Amino acid sequence: MSLLETRGVTVRFGGTTAVDAVDLALESGQVTGLIGPNGAGKTTLFNVITGMQRPTSGSVLLDGSDITRKSPGKRGRLGVARTFQRLELFLSLSVRDNVRVAGDIVKASRRGGYDVEAETQRVLELTGLAEIADREVADIPTGRARVVEVARALMTHPRLLLLDEPASGQTEQETEVFAAMLRALADDGLGICLVEHDLSLVMSLCRTIHVLDRGRLIASGTPDEVRATPEVVAAYIGAEVI
Amino acid sequence: MEQFLTYTFLGLVLGAVYAIAASGLVLTYTTSGIFNFAHGAQAMLAAFTYWQLTVPWGLPPLVAFVLVVGVFGPLVGMVLHQVLMKGLRDVEEVTKVVVTVSVLLGMVSLATWIWDPAEPRSVALLFGNANYVDLGGVKIRYGEIFVILAAVALAVGLRLLFTRTRLGVAMRGVVDDPDLLRLNGFNPDRIALTSWAIGSALAAFAGAVVTPIAGGSLEATTLTLLIIDTFAAAMFGRLRSIPRTFVGAMVLGLAATYFLGYAPTRFDWVSNVRGALPLIVLFVVLLVLPQDRLRGLAQIRGRERPRVPSVQQAVVWGAVFVGLVVLLSRIAGPGMIGPWVNAMAFAIIALSLVPLTGYAGEINLVPLSFGAIGIMVAYHTGIEGIGVESRMTWVGIVAGIAATALVGALVALPALRLRGLYLALATLAFGGIMSTLVLREINPRHWFGLDIALFPNARLIVPRPEIGPLDLDENTTYLIALSIVFAVLGIAVIALRNSGYGRRLVAMRDSPAATAMLGQSLIRLKLGVFVFSASIAGLGGILIASAQGSVSGDDFLITASLVLVMLTVVGGVSYVSGALFGGVVVGVGLSALNGTSAGLGADMPDLEPTFLVLSHLGALAIALTGIGVNHNPSGVVHAISSAYRPLRAAPPVLAGGAAAVALLVGLNLAGVLGDWAFALLTMVVVFALPGLGARFMPERVLTPEQLAARATPRETPPEMLGLDVPLTIDERLELDAGLGLPAAAAAAMELRADPDPVVGEQEPAHVPA
Repeated sequence: MSLLETRGVTVRFGGTTAVDAVDLALESGQVTGLIGPNGAGKTTLFNVITGMQRPTSGSVLLDGSDITRKSPGKRGRLGVARTFQRLELFLSLSVRDNVRVAGDIVKASRRGGYDVEAETQRVLELTGLAEIADREVADIPTGRARVVEVARALMTHPRLLLLDEPASGQTEQETEVFAAMLRALADDGLGICLVEHDLSLVMSLCRTIHVLDRGRLIASGTPDEVRATPEVVAAYIGAEVI
Repeated sequence: MEQFLTYTFLGLVLGAVYAIAASGLVLTYTTSGIFNFAHGAQAMLAAFTYWQLTVPWGLPPLVAFVLVVGVFGPLVGMVLHQVLMKGLRDVEEVTKVVVTVSVLLGMVSLATWIWDPAEPRSVALLFGNANYVDLGGVKIRYGEIFVILAAVALAVGLRLLFTRTRLGVAMRGVVDDPDLLRLNGFNPDRIALTSWAIGSALAAFAGAVVTPIAGGSLEATTLTLLIIDTFAAAMFGRLRSIPRTFVGAMVLGLAATYFLGYAPTRFDWVSNVRGALPLIVLFVVLLVLPQDRLRGLAQIRGRERPRVPSVQQAVVWGAVFVGLVVLLSRIAGPGMIGPWVNAMAFAIIALSLVPLTGYAGEINLVPLSFGAIGIMVAYHTGIEGIGVESRMTWVGIVAGIAATALVGALVALPALRLRGLYLALATLAFGGIMSTLVLREINPRHWFGLDIALFPNARLIVPRPEIGPLDLDENTTYLIALSIVFAVLGIAVIALRNSGYGRRLVAMRDSPAATAMLGQSLIRLKLGVFVFSASIAGLGGILIASAQGSVSGDDFLITASLVLVMLTVVGGVSYVSGALFGGVVVGVGLSALNGTSAGLGADMPDLEPTFLVLSHLGALAIALTGIGVNHNPSGVVHAISSAYRPLRAAPPVLAGGAAAVALLVGLNLAGVLGDWAFALLTMVVVFALPGLGARFMPERVLTPEQLAARATPRETPPEMLGLDVPLTIDERLELDAGLGLPAAAAAAMELRADPDPVVGEQEPAHVPA
C-alpha cells in the first residue's frame, strides 16, 4: 500500500479544469518528483493533498484510508507536512521561534514525550540553520527562508513532506547541501514529493517522476523513462534541455 | 388585508433604503477590500446636510437632494479615497478597521459640533408628505415610490455593471491584482476612486431619505448606527453579490415592519427586539455562512515588528508602574484621583485587546459590551449587605468573569470559521444587541421562577470589594489596587506571549495556512484567545462599574467601545503599554478635555465660546487619531520608547529631563502649578526630550549613519552619477583622464566654451588596448 494516493482527483475553478482526474502514488522513503510547466496544476494538487482545496471529485488516501474530508490541521497531525511556493513564514518571529512554534503546536496536540527545546535545537542543526537562529526571519534571504519552512515541517515528524519549489532562491551550493539533506531524510523513511523547476535537482534526487500538463498527468516513470516520453518533451522540456 | 398591504409596502420601502445603503457598502468593499465602517456616518452627514439645505437655507427638496447625492456624497467618498483609503492596500485588517472607525468617530464628532444635538430636527420626505396615490386603501407617497424604483434600478444597474462592462470587471479585479489590471491598461486608483464616489453617493442617498421613512428626528449617533442594520443585508450577499444583497435588504425591511405590526404589543420587549432584529439577522447570517477556504496571505515584509519584553523585564516595569501610581496618588489633588481610577479600569478592559488583537490579530470592536455582561452577572450574584455597608464579593467577581467567558465563546463561535472581518462584525452585532435589547431590560420579569430585572431601573449601583482588612472604598486605595491588578494582568499577558501558546497565536496571525498545516486547529486557538480576552474585559467591566459607583446602559455604548479600541490601537495594541495609553486617554484625556474647557469657560465667561470650540476641536482630534495608524502601526508608545532608546547613551539629557519633571512636581506640590498645567507641561518635557537630545548631544544620541547624513546633505551615490544628475564638465574631464582618453578629454576641453555639448556622439580618437 502506498503512503499516499490520489484517485481521480479533479479540481475545477469555474470553467477551467486545474487538475484533471489525477491518480498519483507517493511512497515512504522515496523522493518523488512532480514537474510540469507553470499553471500545470502542481500547487493545486498539493492544496488538495493537504486539504487546503476541496477537490471537485476524486479522493485522497493516506495509508489506504480516505482523508478527503479531513481538515488541513487533522492531516497535519496525521503526518502530512508541506512548504509553500509563496513563502508562508511567521514574519514576527525569529528563525528559532519559527521552528520552535511548530514544536509548540505538536506539544499542544500530543500527550507527553515531546521536548520542544531539544527538538528545535536538533532540527536547527540538521537543517544548518543554527548559526542564523536568532535572526529575524523577515531579514534572511529567500533561499534560507525556504529551508526555515522545511525545518518547521520537520518539527512535526511528518511521514510525507510536500515541497513546493524549495530550491528557488537558493544558491548552487545551498541546493547541493539541501539535496543531500533530502536524500538523508528519505533514507530515514520519510516520503517526499518535490515540485521543482530545477530539473537537474529533480533528476538526481527522484526515483519516480510525474509530469503534469494542463491538469493532466501525461507521464510517470524513472527519470530516463520520462526523458524519453515524446509528450513530455513536446509539452514541457524541449529536446536540448536534457 | 389592507393592513397587511400597508405593512408590506412599508417593509419594501424600508428594504429599499437598506438595499441602497448596502449596495454602496458592497461596492466599496469589492473594489478596495476595505469594509467601510464609516458608511453610516457618511449617510448621517448627508442627512444633516440635506436638513441644512432644505430647512435653514430653504432650498427646494429636489435641488437639495440632487446636491447631496450628486455632489456632497461623491465628494466625501473621493476625498476619503484620495487621503486615506488609497494607502490601505496590503495592510493588516486591524489597520483598515481602525482607520474607518476613526473616520466614523470623527464624522460623528464633527456633526455634533456643527449641529447642536440639543435642538430637534426633522426633514420631510422627498416630494412631500401630502403627495400620495391611494392604492386600494394603501397610501403610497411619491417619495416612497421613488425610493423603491431607485433601489430596483440600482440593483439591476450595478449587476449589469459588474457582469457586463469592462469597467465592472476591472472593478472586481482591483482587489485581487492591481498590477495585472494596470498591465491591461486600467488605472486601479482611478477605478477605486470611482467606486468610492459611487458608494458614498449611495450612502448619502440612504441618509437623505432614511429619517422620514424610519421616523424620528435627526440624531448623529442613532443615524450612524442605523446603517449597521444594513451590514446584515450586505452579509446576505457575502459582501459580493448585489442581487443577494438586494433580496437580503428586502427580507430585512419586511421582517422589521411585520414584526412591528403583528408581534403582540402587550410585551414591552417587542419594540426592543424590533430594534435588534437586523443585528440578530446579521448574527444568524454569519452563523450559516460557509467556511472560508484556507489560503495563503500576501506577506508583508519589512514591516516593523513589535518588540517582546521578557517576563523579568515585565515584572520590573510592573513594579515601576505601581510605584509611579503610588507617587501620582500622593501628588495629585483629590479631584484628579477619580479620572485616574477610571483610566485604570478602562486600561484593564483595553488590556483584553492585547492578546486578542495584538497577538492573534483578531478584532473585538465592543470590549465594553463584554464588560457589561461581567458587571450584570456580578451585580446579581455578588453583592452583600445594604446601602453604604454593601460590598462586591469575590463570588460576584468570579461569576461575572466566568459568565463573560461563556458569552465570549458564544459570540465568537459563529465567526471563527470565517475571516477576521466577520468576527469583528459579529462582535459589533453583539454590541448592538446588548445596547438595544439586554441593557434595556430594566423592569423585573419572571425568569425560571425568579423575578429579576437584568438591568434594574436602568442603573446598577455597584459597591467596591473589600480585601481582608483593606477597604477599597477609599479612592486612593482603589487606584493603587487597580494599578496592581493592571500590572499583574499585564505581566500575565506578556508571560503568555513568551509561552508556546503565545507563539502559536502570533503564528496564526502571520500565516493561518502554515499554522493549520502544522496541525493546529485554528478554531480552537481563536476560541481560546477570545474567551481569555472576554474574561479580562468582564473583570474590567466590574472594576469600571465599582470605580464609578453606578453605571447605566449609556456607559457601554458601541461608540464608547469604538473609541477605546481605536485609542488602544493608536497606543500600540501589541503592547501592554498601548492598553495603558488607550485607558488613560479615555479615562483621563476625554474627561480632562470637557472638564478643562468647561472649567476655564466658567472662570472666563468672555472666552467661553473659544473654549467650547477648543474642546470640540480636541474631541475631533482624538477621534481622528486613528487615521494615522497606517503610518505608525506599532503605536505611539512604541514610537516614544524607540525615540528614548538612544538617549541611554546620553545620561545628562535624561538627568536634565528628570530634573525638569522633578521641578514640575515640586511646583505642583507647592501649589504654584495647577494639576492640568502640570500634566500638560510634563507631557511637553516627555515628548521634547528625544529631540533635545539629538540637538545638543548628537555624537552620543545619533547613530554614525544619522550623523553622516547630517554632515553631508545627501550626495548622489557614485554609480548614479550621470544618470540622476548630469556630469559636470570637470567630472567628464576627470573620467576621461582616468580612462586614458586624451582625445576625448581634449574634445571636452573645447566643449567647455560650448554650452550645449553632445559628448556621446563623438567618436573617440583611439580606444586603449
